[in-house]
This record gives sequence, structure tokens and C-alpha cells, in this order.
Amino acid sequence: MKYVLLSAIALLVSFTSCQKEVITIGTRVSETFYLDNRGASMRILVEGNTSSKVFILFVHGGPGAGGYIYDSDYIRKNIEDRYAMAYWDSRNAGGSQGSVNGHDLTLGQMADDLKKVIILIKARYGQNCSIFLLGHSFGGLLTSSFMVTGNNQSMVKGWIFADASHNYPLNDSLTQQMLLNTGEQEIALNHNRTQWEEIVAYCNAHTGNFTYEESEQLESYAGEAETYFDEVIEFDIMKLVRENAVRYKWPLSSMLMNYLYTSEAGFNRVLAQTEFSSLLGKVTVPVLVLYGQYDFICPQELGADFYGRIGSTDKKMVISPVSGHSIMLQDEVLFCNEVNNFIDLHK
Amino acid sequence: MSFRKVITVLCCLFFTLLCFSQSDSLNSRINASSNISLALNGSIIYPGIRAGIEFPVTMIDLTISTKSKEPKCVIKERFATGNIGWYHHPDFHDNLYLTAEWRMRRTRSVGFFSEFSPGLGYSRTFLGGTTYELNDNGEVKIEKLAGYNYALVTVGGGAGYNFSGKKGIPFSIYARLNMLLMFPYNSTVYPRPAIELGLIYHPDGFLPVKVKKRIKKK
Repeated sequence: MKYVLLSAIALLVSFTSCQKEVITIGTRVSETFYLDNRGASMRILVEGNTSSKVFILFVHGGPGAGGYIYDSDYIRKNIEDRYAMAYWDSRNAGGSQGSVNGHDLTLGQMADDLKKVIILIKARYGQNCSIFLLGHSFGGLLTSSFMVTGNNQSMVKGWIFADASHNYPLNDSLTQQMLLNTGEQEIALNHNRTQWEEIVAYCNAHTGNFTYEESEQLESYAGEAETYFDEVIEFDIMKLVRENAVRYKWPLSSMLMNYLYTSEAGFNRVLAQTEFSSLLGKVTVPVLVLYGQYDFICPQELGADFYGRIGSTDKKMVISPVSGHSIMLQDEVLFCNEVNNFIDLHK
Repeated sequence: MSFRKVITVLCCLFFTLLCFSQSDSLNSRINASSNISLALNGSIIYPGIRAGIEFPVTMIDLTISTKSKEPKCVIKERFATGNIGWYHHPDFHDNLYLTAEWRMRRTRSVGFFSEFSPGLGYSRTFLGGTTYELNDNGEVKIEKLAGYNYALVTVGGGAGYNFSGKKGIPFSIYARLNMLLMFPYNSTVYPRPAIELGLIYHPDGFLPVKVKKRIKKK
């Protein structure tokens, strides 16, 4: 009995040692910690130069995609050498864990989680830290929700909006228009005629007031559309998984199940009707807007709408000529240069 | 389902399986020793261990006669097993889990065996990093032993070799592929494949259980 008790104590001590608080201030940091909020334990991976006291908080797309896929070697070498990146897996995404928590999967709850992530980063690394928000795709809607609420924008030094959406109904209309216009041109040029004819036929049959199912179908066509252009730098998610999953200890089945659950969850129907266009005038922090010329999922006209409505006077919009919906992975040079320049100016 | 309910259900299942071994036999009843297993148990690169006890329930000594060759002898055994396992996935979680499994093993006369085992269990994870909670005033607090309780379903199959028959060594070696399904994990299921490489020790007279033994000829 004595040995059983000793073994149990040894096991508990070993589990506690994994959870011992370690805060590293250095130039090549990599540390994971969790934020527990309303039934979800959300993973936060901080990498890079924490001694810079500058943190870029990455708010991933999806919803449900998680932060793992953005942590590329190029960003490691070209941003993390100067600043720290904080990859946050929102609730029910990536390596975030929990029990029965689907009822809290709402945009409002996620915005509250985001606020607590910022408070936590400052509590760990110092109240004098500068935080920059970086929203990609759905992360644009989430960061918009956060930035237009109360005085939240005072918690950050700047906002990077990369292939992101602040207005889902407008997003659907712009995607439909871009697919239709580009499709007609491509058919005339006899490029991928069969595929484009199907897309154009769908867009001609579905012209506005999109249902959730139509919105899903448009997004699916939009994802395919960027692969029909030779100019676009290919982004192969399976290659990323093959190269990084073992090396960086990705919990693949958690990532997959969280994505499947969250991308099909009921709150997506609410998101489909959500927009922040009318509230963006409240935002006055510096803003960097990055879009891909071949992004059909979040077309550059969406970025133009965002850029026009934002209340900030210090703002910049850049379009990548070789990128689709994932500028940070498809045009890494432009992305890292623009992000670094923006942060150098505003940190 | 609360932790207490999960444990109660698992205990009921486990003891029900044991009770089967006390029921009347068809042919004969023998005193059979229980086995002890110990294994390395991980997901390719993530380490873990697993230990368990196999309580024998039934044993069928099957002789299959063939026209051209000598009769083939196969032993079909059924065990109720209790296991404790652990794996470590850095930065994600540590998982400590208990399972009760129904193991079906078929051993050929030369010693090679194959087996299949479904089961139920309980899992307690420990998150792979410091976990913080914030109250409404923004005060940050570290949560000790942060993690979750999950119900668990497991299914596994594998093959091995029993040295006790021909060589008289009371050990078997085996390899098994297990799939753990933990739930409710973020309102869904978390599947975790695990490869198990282990040893089974067959001691004499260890926790002996009366089992039904049938001798069948085909």
C-alpha cells in the first residue's frame, strides 16, 4: 500500500511539474500555457523575442482552424527574431481542450476570451508590453467584435487585418460578384472552362440575400477558384501537416475534431448575419490591411470597405499580387516586411 | 455524466464480467491464474506506459481435425481485464486512464496468438502548460492540476507469442494497436490511437479464478 501511495504521489508531482509556471524573457522563446475561461482551456503558444516586449497576437480563421498552421519557418526567422508571436487557439479550436462547452461557442464569448488573453499576456510578460492584434479570415470578425466593444482598443497598439472579414453578408455578396466577373473572363479566355461554367451558373442562380447554405457553397467555390491561377503561390495544407506535425508536436486528432465540430456548429448561422461595418468608425488605433489579389473568400473589395470605414487616420492597405486567402503563407516576404515595418513604426 | 457515475458504471461492468466466471460450467471448472501485463504505450513519438491484470473467464480447448494433416489445436480464451495507462504529449496534455476490457484471445498450438479487446474507461487529463484563470476584475490566478475528466471507450487488436507452452517460460510478448475515444471532449469526441508493445506474465496461482473449460472437437 505504501508503494502504491508513493507511486501515486510521484505521478501527481510529475503532472504538476509540466504545469509549473515558466516565464522566459529571451530572444528565442517557445512556451505554451493555457487560459481557462468558461469551460474552455485555450492554448497560447508564445514564440520568438519576448525581450522586445512586443507581442503580435494571432487570431486564427475558421472558426475552429487553430493557430498551429500559421507558425511557419519563415515567420520564425523573419518576425520572431524581432518580436514575439502569440498563437492563440480559441475555444473549441486547435489544441484547446474542454468538456461540454458547445453552448458557450459564441462570438461574444470569444471576444471576452480574447480580452482575457491580452490581460494574461501582460500579466505574464509585463504591463508595459505592446500588443498588436492580427486577425485572419474569421479572426477579422472576432477582432472587429473585440475592437468596437467598450474601450477594448486601448489594450492594443495596432491592428493587422489580413485576408479578413468584418461583415459576413457583404463578404458573401463580394465573393459572388468576384466569382461571377472573374468566371466570365476566364470562360472567354477558355481557362478551366468546365469548372468556371459551374461556378458562374451557380452565381447567376443565386444573386443575393444568401442563405447559410448558399454562403457555404460560395465559400467552397471561392476556395477552389484561387487554385485555377498560375500566378498564385500554392499553399498545400497537407504539406504543412507532413512537415510540422511531428516536429512541433501538433495534436492532430484534436485539431481535426475541433475543426469539424466548430465549423459545423450552430453559431455559424448567426455569424453569417453578423457585420461590424457601421461600428468601425470608433476604431482609432493604427491599422494595417493586407489582402491577396486572388482571394475570393475575402475579396480585396472587402478590405477596401474596411479601410474606408475604419476611424483610424494612421492606416495602410497593401495587396499581394501572388496571394489568395492566406497571405501569411503564400506571400511570406511581403507579409513579414509589412508587419515588421508597421510594428517598427507603432511599437 | 459526473465522475462518480462514470466510476459506478465501470465498476458494475467490471464486476459483472468477473461474476460470469463464477457461473456453472458446461464441461469442467478449473482454477486458472490471472496474468499481469506491462507495456510501452505511446502514439509513435509520445511516450507512455500501461499495466493491467487479466482475469480469465472462459477457456475453450479446440481441436480441429483435418483429413490430410494432423489435428490443429487452438485455445480460445476470454479475459476480463483491468488496466491503468498513461501517456505524455508535450505542451498538449498528460493522460492518466483506467479501463475495463473484455479480451478475446486465440492461441495456436505453436504459441502465436491474436486478440481483440473492446472496453470502457475513465480518463483524467492534465494540461501541458501552466493554466491561468482570470476573474471579472482581471486578477490572474494559476489553476493547480488543471485538466479534464472524460469517459473513455477503447478498442484494440493485436498479436503476440506465448512462450509458456513450448518453451516453458511464463511470459508472452505482444504488439497491439489501441484506439481511445474520449468524450465529451469540447462537446465532441477525441480519438487517440496508441501503439502498445508489452509483456504478459503468467504466474502460477496469482489471483486464481475458477473458469469454465470446454473441450471441443471439430
